Amino acid sequence: MNLLPVFDWPGFFILGLIPPLIFLLYFLKLRRTPLEVPSTYLWARTIEDLHVNSLWQKLRKSLLLFLQLALALLLLLACLRPGCQGEDLIGERFIFLIDQSSSMSATDVPGGKTRLEFAKEEIRNLIDRMDYDDSGMIIGFSNTANVIQSYTRSKSLLRRQLDLVKQTNRGTDIKEALSAASGLANPGQTSDKESDRDIQVADALNATLYIFSDGGIRNVPDFSLGNLTPEYHSVGGLEIPNNVGISAFSLSSQLDSDSGVQAFVQLQNSDDEDHSVTVELFVDGDVFDVRSDIEIKKESTTALSFDFGDLMTRIEKPVPLEIHIKDEDVYMADNIAFGVLEPPKKANVLIVTASNRFLEIATGTELMKKLAKIEFQPPRFLKEKEYIEAATLGLYDLVIFDQCSPEQMPECNTTFIGTRPPTEEWEFGEKQFPTNVIDTDISHPLMDSVSFGTVNVVESSKLTGPKGTLVLIDATFGPVMSIGPRQGFQDLVIGFSLLEYDDDGNASFNTDWVKKLSFPIFVQNVVSQLAGGFRFNAAQGFEPGELVKFRTVLPTQTAGVTAPDGKKIKLSPRPDKRFVFTGTEAKGVYEVEDLETESLDQLFVVNLFDFRESDLSVRDTLEIGYQEIKGTTKTIPARKDFWSWIIFGALALLMIEWYIYNRRVFI
Amino acid sequence: MSIVGANKKKIKTKSTLLSPELLGQLERMELVSRKIFRGRMKGERRSKRKGQSVEFADFRNYVAGDDLRFIDWNLYARLDKLFLKLFLEEEDLHFYALIDGSASMAFGDPTKFHYAKQLAAALGYIGLCRADRIKVEMLDSSAASSAPVLRGRTNLWRMLDYLEKLEPGTNVTLNDSIKSFCMRNTGKGILVLITDLMDKSGYESALKYLVSQNLDIYLIHVLSQEEIDPDITGDLRLVDCEDADFAEISVSQRLLDRYRQTLARYIQDAKDFCGRRGISYMMTSTERPVDRLVSRYLRQRGLVR
Repeated sequence: MNLLPVFDWPGFFILGLIPPLIFLLYFLKLRRTPLEVPSTYLWARTIEDLHVNSLWQKLRKSLLLFLQLALALLLLLACLRPGCQGEDLIGERFIFLIDQSSSMSATDVPGGKTRLEFAKEEIRNLIDRMDYDDSGMIIGFSNTANVIQSYTRSKSLLRRQLDLVKQTNRGTDIKEALSAASGLANPGQTSDKESDRDIQVADALNATLYIFSDGGIRNVPDFSLGNLTPEYHSVGGLEIPNNVGISAFSLSSQLDSDSGVQAFVQLQNSDDEDHSVTVELFVDGDVFDVRSDIEIKKESTTALSFDFGDLMTRIEKPVPLEIHIKDEDVYMADNIAFGVLEPPKKANVLIVTASNRFLEIATGTELMKKLAKIEFQPPRFLKEKEYIEAATLGLYDLVIFDQCSPEQMPECNTTFIGTRPPTEEWEFGEKQFPTNVIDTDISHPLMDSVSFGTVNVVESSKLTGPKGTLVLIDATFGPVMSIGPRQGFQDLVIGFSLLEYDDDGNASFNTDWVKKLSFPIFVQNVVSQLAGGFRFNAAQGFEPGELVKFRTVLPTQTAGVTAPDGKKIKLSPRPDKRFVFTGTEAKGVYEVEDLETESLDQLFVVNLFDFRESDLSVRDTLEIGYQEIKGTTKTIPARKDFWSWIIFGALALLMIEWYIYNRRVFI
Repeated sequence: MSIVGANKKKIKTKSTLLSPELLGQLERMELVSRKIFRGRMKGERRSKRKGQSVEFADFRNYVAGDDLRFIDWNLYARLDKLFLKLFLEEEDLHFYALIDGSASMAFGDPTKFHYAKQLAAALGYIGLCRADRIKVEMLDSSAASSAPVLRGRTNLWRMLDYLEKLEPGTNVTLNDSIKSFCMRNTGKGILVLITDLMDKSGYESALKYLVSQNLDIYLIHVLSQEEIDPDITGDLRLVDCEDADFAEISVSQRLLDRYRQTLARYIQDAKDFCGRRGISYMMTSTERPVDRLVSRYLRQRGLVR
């Protein structure tokens, strides 16, 4: 049995004055109405009778006083919130970290509640157990942290804010939340220049950190808890829950054949039992294909592919796709995935070159023909009106300038071979000989499968690009191939030419790269990455909460985005003509509309393919820094409050008092 | 016995005490005494005394000095003995109606005092019609205010006039006023005491005085409806109209119940007291019409017939 006072001492002092006040009021002389009667003889005798048992009569006389005092005391008691079970929390400051990630929507906790609801209930119980001068803080986290309530002593505020914690569709990353939590516990340090000593800028405030999560969290090795005392409450069922989810969904064209586009679906079974499920594919809201009895072994994945047949030839606008797992399980969020089927559209690529046979060969493959429409033009074309218009309107997806340069950068991605882009941000050094390549960034998609080890380059210039430039090939004297950003576009600049032309126009090799197998692969990478190629892979889309930057097909001043829940948001373009959309909380297909022409511009999808979220097994321990925090599954004993019963009793007492006063039963 | 209607005279009165209808009713009634008293004057009532009425009573032997006119000469002729023929004497009856004039009688609607006056007038009129000796008096210690003794129907106006002039509010106890009355009036007869018995010094000794007078006593206990069933609420300071004494009460159902119990016990005590002493007791509320009280209840009690 303990108390949870609602007010501070001043409040209770004022409340405590009420009973003596009632008492004093009773001592005030009752104002009686005088009434003349024939004789007080009988009345006197009547009262005399009542005064026989004077003590009892006195008690009876003050029955209303006693009732009112009892009522006031009951209300005071209710304000003290007496309750039982559950002890006071030890400490003064408590930080409640609550996992809002997608996996917290699993309904495997007792009572059919979601994990998040369960965690909220547990935190509520903890808040109830806080002492009146304890302060608490609530931080919600998914793949980002959100301080829902900063330190406060108001338990009612904490409870209110706790109610506002919402389920998200995002993944999980606790690090940001830990940083937010440790802000006060581990204050920053500043260096004193004169004494070479670090000075703590504020007093450290120890706090207990309650982490309520299902443990679908990456370990955080580089974090020190410092003055935080962690307590990890693992939320979720004791048994590994039944869950089959979609862990990947992608679309790809079968470039090696003409059979069109295929959808690939990966199903993950995180249960410790085998499951068989039925998967449905919806195209534009209609069932397109159904696969039933798909066996997935325990704790493994299985892949499915759907062939769209000749559907691609029939669609004229982007079409939304949905993949459903029909069978219900405890975590339904991963039973659905979205994609967009784009109508075939070839990229528009312009190659401006005097004469480069190797570029022609590299772009003349069947694969390249499928990827893009490639146009070759001589450098003089750059001065023509046709080019200037097309470049300004952004009709090209990619322009490759081979040893030539336009007067102004076109509104598209570019590749400059052996020439400097016409902007001040790019600098070309003196031509250097020989060029010894020492490093290539093979992790970059442009350099995917490109082997530069045996390539020789005669002369090249050192490149310096704008801020944010990535070096792809490094030579002994500096970068020779870099890719840099330009107002939403990317400019690939190669510091060496492929061929050198003498004054007569005869070509000689500056590098033997053009003769290597890696050259056509590189060109293919450039076209597919920088020109976009076929946009089949839209199914990858974005993650919930991710910032989406997009450009409309034709430049427009207003674009509208319709979220899956039907909410419309109007957007204006940024100076680089790109739109930035932030409201990607919901999973599904988002429609982008050109509000000037009122036509559908494009679709993009938001999916969460996160095996950590789909794996619903609850982790027993968390590793934060070098500390291993053991989880507890013990339910926090809910506080049984009696105040409602006390108020109920007070109400009953009030009714009795009312009855007695009005009926004058005893007084 | 004379015929009631023979000497009937229409008496016009503006009095509020007796309505013409009631007067009509009352004329047919007569006061009845459970005792036969000796009157002073010849009346319409049979007396214990043998007298000169037409009604034969008895014979007795002649003794020297008897009035020769009453000798039964027929008997003397037959028996040769002198017998005196005795006739019943018809005499008047003394009727006293005493009205309690204390301030407490001024309460009620109609007031108890008005009710008492009505009742006294009604009974007095019955007596006047029967040539009884009527004295209607407000209880007062002073002999000066002594009421006139009336006889005969024609004195109705005097009686009413006297009654109209009476006002309650004399500050005298029942005991003192009865004592004073008994000292002034020694005659036998019927006495009707109309009072609310609300006397803090008690009514017992006063009634004992009356009993000692060998009167045929009727006590009519008049209470107003406010006294029988008080319709009061709240926290009150009850002030006694007679001695300004007060009682502070907070009216509750329980208190009201207790009051009713007290009143019932009080009435019962009075009834028992009267019963033991041969006093006819009757409690009435001012809400009970006087005509009904006289024609029904008092008839049942035997005061009138």
